[in-house]
Amino acid sequence: MHSLYEIETTIKRSSRAKGLSWGVSEEAGKAVRVLEQSKFQGLESFKRLIDLGLTKLNRLLDVGQSDTSNLCPIHFGIFFLDQSHNKDLHRIHKFKNINEPLLILPFLSKSAKNNLLYFDFKSSDLNFTISPGDIFFIDKNVVPNNLSDFSLTISSQRKSLYDQSSWDYLYKLSLETFVEETEEKKISGAGAGLTDND
Amino acid sequence: MQIDLRKPELVMKLDRLGSFHQSKLSFLRSFIREFKNWEFKTNEFNLDNRGFGHIVYVVNNGQKQYSLICFSNHIEDSERSDRVIATKWDASFVLFDGVPAKEDIERLKANVPLQEQGRVSEKELCLSRANKSVRVFEHVVDKLSKGIQPDTKLLYSVGYLYRTTAVYGSGKFGLADRIKIQDREELKGPFRLEMMLVYLARQFTFDVVNHVAHFRSPSKAIKLSEDIARNLGIGNSTGLGMAPFIVNHPALLNQWIIAKEKALKAIRSILSVSQKDKDIFESYLSAIQENIKYWNTESDYQKKKNKQLLKDLDSFQNFYSTYTSKNYFWNSIYEWTEANTQSECCEFIVSLMMEVYPDIVEPLSYEMSINEDKYFDIDTSKTIDEVCKLIENQYTWLLNIDFDNKENIFNFWYYSKNKQEPRMSDRFSEEGSELELPLAIARDISALYGDLKSCDLKRDLGYYLLKSQEYRHILRRVLVCEKLPYSEIQDNTISKTLIPVDMIRLKLSFFGATRFDPRSDRWVRITMYQGAPLMKEISTSNDTWSYKKIA
Repeated sequence: MHSLYEIETTIKRSSRAKGLSWGVSEEAGKAVRVLEQSKFQGLESFKRLIDLGLTKLNRLLDVGQSDTSNLCPIHFGIFFLDQSHNKDLHRIHKFKNINEPLLILPFLSKSAKNNLLYFDFKSSDLNFTISPGDIFFIDKNVVPNNLSDFSLTISSQRKSLYDQSSWDYLYKLSLETFVEETEEKKISGAGAGLTDND
Repeated sequence: MQIDLRKPELVMKLDRLGSFHQSKLSFLRSFIREFKNWEFKTNEFNLDNRGFGHIVYVVNNGQKQYSLICFSNHIEDSERSDRVIATKWDASFVLFDGVPAKEDIERLKANVPLQEQGRVSEKELCLSRANKSVRVFEHVVDKLSKGIQPDTKLLYSVGYLYRTTAVYGSGKFGLADRIKIQDREELKGPFRLEMMLVYLARQFTFDVVNHVAHFRSPSKAIKLSEDIARNLGIGNSTGLGMAPFIVNHPALLNQWIIAKEKALKAIRSILSVSQKDKDIFESYLSAIQENIKYWNTESDYQKKKNKQLLKDLDSFQNFYSTYTSKNYFWNSIYEWTEANTQSECCEFIVSLMMEVYPDIVEPLSYEMSINEDKYFDIDTSKTIDEVCKLIENQYTWLLNIDFDNKENIFNFWYYSKNKQEPRMSDRFSEEGSELELPLAIARDISALYGDLKSCDLKRDLGYYLLKSQEYRHILRRVLVCEKLPYSEIQDNTISKTLIPVDMIRLKLSFFGATRFDPRSDRWVRITMYQGAPLMKEISTSNDTWSYKKIA
């Protein structure tokens, strides 16, 4: 087995060998490292991308660009890593087709954390949400090699995922850790002054 | 009186960085302080009569164990080379996480002697190798086998019995990734495991000579005197491979330098200095001047530096012995030294001042690591104008360099295919510059600056990166330097006048190396742990050993 250091360094150098800039290659190395560490087949996915011809793939430079087919996941990921702080992007975006979509996960995950954002990815073959939290899981950790007609919704709003009744029950339970205050305690237990006029 | 940290534009010049000396912050010394209460013992001793086989040393605190497995092999004299490109060594070492089982030793026996050509696993933490200093080794074995102690003049002129080359860690060749061990309390300082490996390898060198001498003449042989052994270290031969490390790890470099600068600032800020502290300083100064005489080198560059150091120390001593000041004594001493001596002496005195104040300096050794990933991401919401101003403020030194002048872009750094190591060559007469490593920091920041200046300054970095990703790696550094001002060497790392050995020296000084002996402007021999407590003495050591006079 290779160490994560070896994986990151090898991916970085091979990206560079295939014509990516050093800065982008560094990002690719880190992305594959994160995937492998999270038990995703990042290295295999990257190898397939190389086989497709890294420089032949379409780079996302604008969410409104006319051709969004045959997208490169590295540049797709970097686009949202670099641009997601811009609130104009916090909406739904539709794209034609992307290769090796697994490779976008580390970029979206990082962008979600850095900017406190939610990324909802939807397609007929795969749906997932990436949040600023640390946990994400995809069914069987398998992502198709290619996805078509997908959307990505960016939002800074966290959604409520529970019933009001569940909340009410738990909140009531939490009150059982509180102590009922007598009038005397209200005076002696307070840390601040009794008047706020001094 | 408000005393500030020294400014990066003074400290981060390569001439200054290449004059740094070991100090209380050095990693081999903080390793000994951290592990002095652990038990060090020899767990297995399986050498044949000629000294070939393996030894296992175990370091244990009752809950956690680390083991160094040392393989000693026979090689022909013609196969012995201390360059990193060698393929056979007298000894090879691997630091194991825990205590190795028999199967582990068998597996490692087949791989560790091969070094780069072998594979290790995540159970292993560090890897290294060493060759004998043949003339010293033979002399010591010969004398001991005859029942007499070796010639200390010869021994101390070399300083060690074996010389290591590379010490690998952090995921190389299948070793455990740093992430596996980074949260362990005992490993909070940088390079702790590498320092452990080298320390135990030094013990191995003593055990081998004693063993071989004994079997050469069992009835007459004596053991190497402990006083002599203590004054021997372990050698190291280091080439250009080490130099890019300090460029590639700007955040880490900042931590090392700022720890030293904080220590100096705190010492200069002491209002009233006791006579006892002044006496301690003077005693170290006197002992170390004697030891400098053992700093042998054939390098004209280093000879000149050493000669100047001795000359400057002489005038320093004259000044120091007559200087009296009631307040801020060390600040006055520092200011005089800065104004009247060269960097080599000035940094030497700084290290010596740190020696007097363990309470100030030692806690700083725990601040010398950093999570570099925290500084990897680029804040693309910054405006282009903000970044231009950052460059103008932090990189003033490079803005007037003419990168159309061949002298200023003379060298390029590359990764050698056959040597698997970073190298540097003349861009205009040698091939390969199209595969240049991203180490031309000054040139690329200058180009980035030009690029940014041609953009709409009000736009953000996200906008710039949509136009070009060519300087993404450099943009990252500029933003690191904004937060960590000691992260960048303030010199052109591709100019014709670059002395790469200064970059190597910087790193080695933080390791705790002494006796710098550059063999060219690209590689250097040094000594580590000379004067350090022996394995059985570590629990009673007090970290004053590095300024003791070599007997």
